[in-house]
Amino acid sequence: MSDEIVQIETPFQFNEENKQEFDELIGRYPVKEAAMLPTLHLAQRQEGYITPAVMRYVAELLEVTVMKVKDVVTFYPMFFEEPVGKYVIRVCHTLPCALRDCKVVLEHLKTKLGTDIASETNLAKGTTDDGKFTLMKVECLASCDVAPVIMVNDDLYKNLTPEKVDEILEQLPN
Amino acid sequence: MVQEKRILYEHLDVPNINTFDVFRQHEGYTRFEKAIAEFQPEELAQMVWDAGLKGRGGAGFSTGEKWSFVPRDIEPRYLCCNADESEPGTFSNRYVLEKNPHLLIEGILICCYAMGIETTYVYIRGEFTLGKKMLDAAIKEAYEQGYLGENVRDTGLNINIYSHPGAGAYICGEETGLIESLEGKRGQPRNKPPFPAVQGVFMKPTVVQNVETLCNLPFIVGNGVEWYTQMGRTYGDTRFDPPKADPNTGTKLYCISGDVNEPGVYELELGLTCTELIEVAGGLRGEEVKAVIPGGSSAPILTHYELDTRLDFTSLTLAKSMLGSGGIIVMNETRNIVDCLLNIMKFYAHESCGQCTPCRWGTPWVRDIVQRIADGEGRQTTITRPKFGVTESGRWGDTGETEEIYEDLDLLENVANNIANVDTMTWNTICVFGIAVSWPAVSYLRKFRPEFEAAIRDSKLVTLSVAEATVPPEENYAYQQRFIPKEFAEIQETTED
Repeated sequence: MSDEIVQIETPFQFNEENKQEFDELIGRYPVKEAAMLPTLHLAQRQEGYITPAVMRYVAELLEVTVMKVKDVVTFYPMFFEEPVGKYVIRVCHTLPCALRDCKVVLEHLKTKLGTDIASETNLAKGTTDDGKFTLMKVECLASCDVAPVIMVNDDLYKNLTPEKVDEILEQLPN
Repeated sequence: MVQEKRILYEHLDVPNINTFDVFRQHEGYTRFEKAIAEFQPEELAQMVWDAGLKGRGGAGFSTGEKWSFVPRDIEPRYLCCNADESEPGTFSNRYVLEKNPHLLIEGILICCYAMGIETTYVYIRGEFTLGKKMLDAAIKEAYEQGYLGENVRDTGLNINIYSHPGAGAYICGEETGLIESLEGKRGQPRNKPPFPAVQGVFMKPTVVQNVETLCNLPFIVGNGVEWYTQMGRTYGDTRFDPPKADPNTGTKLYCISGDVNEPGVYELELGLTCTELIEVAGGLRGEEVKAVIPGGSSAPILTHYELDTRLDFTSLTLAKSMLGSGGIIVMNETRNIVDCLLNIMKFYAHESCGQCTPCRWGTPWVRDIVQRIADGEGRQTTITRPKFGVTESGRWGDTGETEEIYEDLDLLENVANNIANVDTMTWNTICVFGIAVSWPAVSYLRKFRPEFEAAIRDSKLVTLSVAEATVPPEENYAYQQRFIPKEFAEIQETTED
């Protein structure tokens, strides 16, 4: 039909460096499918989030159906199916952090960034308009002795107070 | 005061212990060399059994016994190291990975030699980016030094270690969930049997061990079984002394968090009491201990009256709780138990993998009930039953007995018990996640019922907060008297009947 919307997506392919890393990865497992999680991590690092094109590409590499890749992507909270900010801020809110006032940190981040908290199905809700930050609540980050903690991308920040949060946000390059 | 006994954590704070050279200066890899030079693989497996090493990941199952289930005639066999540390309140593996990864590698080497394993996967949770980086660097060094790869140190052994990142799912800490996830699927646990020891990763015999368990191996080999068994519980005079046939040997990395002055990881001999541990961790932050979670958030809660329970596998099982992963969370008198339970139930409702119906639907239901109670909208009715007696007018007649029914509390216990029944210890789910949900739900409710009743009755219509207790401690204490544990002797008598 003529009014059907054809979505044109950007094709995806690993860059040289990631291709090399993938080739090394695949040799570790007797079954190609087993390299699924590390491969998806690589792809997400390159593309920012898992697009349908990424899923197709990974499926092809691992010789599985696209559905199987989608199945895995939807199961694990660390894979995003929507664009996220340059910095993903994960705020731990499980009991040990809650006992150490993580709520204050979370509220402070909300007002400071002027955004809501992202939900798993709606990441845009927690992303700032300039696309710099995505704020999300996560479960225990296994650092309960230095609670409350947040993770900004790959880095963990400990013993937080609103003042420390301000410092951290200022340090981040644009 | 109980002294820290640092074995696994002894060299943790040595600068650059994560590099091969420094680790080597601190007896690094000498225990592995000793194992190869002096023992046959079967002897090593027997040693681990004799040492009484129990799996430190949660279940506390004897490691030697687990190894004995692995058929030695099926090739290849695999070792999966469980570094998917995600139980709330547990954080000891993170420090091993980040600061002393060579110790883990040495433990893996010993296990591989004892079990004739060539390939090891270390499943690290996705959020441990630094830990993975450090471990990868250490693995690389070990390859360069000839401790990994083909023909390790000219012994003819081939051992490979690969790190494998998880992606943020709690359920992948369950051993079969971990295996599924490692195979590149959703981390949904498998039915057991067959157990992983027989059919694990890629349907081959697999040993799944926690990081801490593997880190114990170099010390058992290096110092001998006798040295190892001398550590651990001494048979003292406190109640709950377990039978001597089931010793709890060695040290444990106790992770203590919550309302204590110096939260952190403390390595202590197994079997000290809660009170002692709180003292070691710099004392309580607050006036009085209200409750202690002894083994990660899925363990049943201990009240004020149970603080002299010894923190080891057997004693806590007898106290109807568990040591689990050794994550101790302390709450002081200002905490609101209803909101604490709500926090934990939100965690479990989020982390249920969705495979089994009772858990998929039950955990959000439990969370919603607790949410309702915490919001001051808990359901309650007053019923009047006919009762024959002397009425106000002095005649015999129906005096009418009224009773408060807290519908939501009964419902909460009912739903939780239908995910997994805590009294009979049977679960309607594939894995033990079910019991990890109903254990806290039922134990909080039973042990702190006055608080739940007050939350419903007062209907403040304001959201409770963890930092605000609504019931004076005395009310809880009066109620909790009935849970004061029986003497150990009495328990034995009742179980013998």
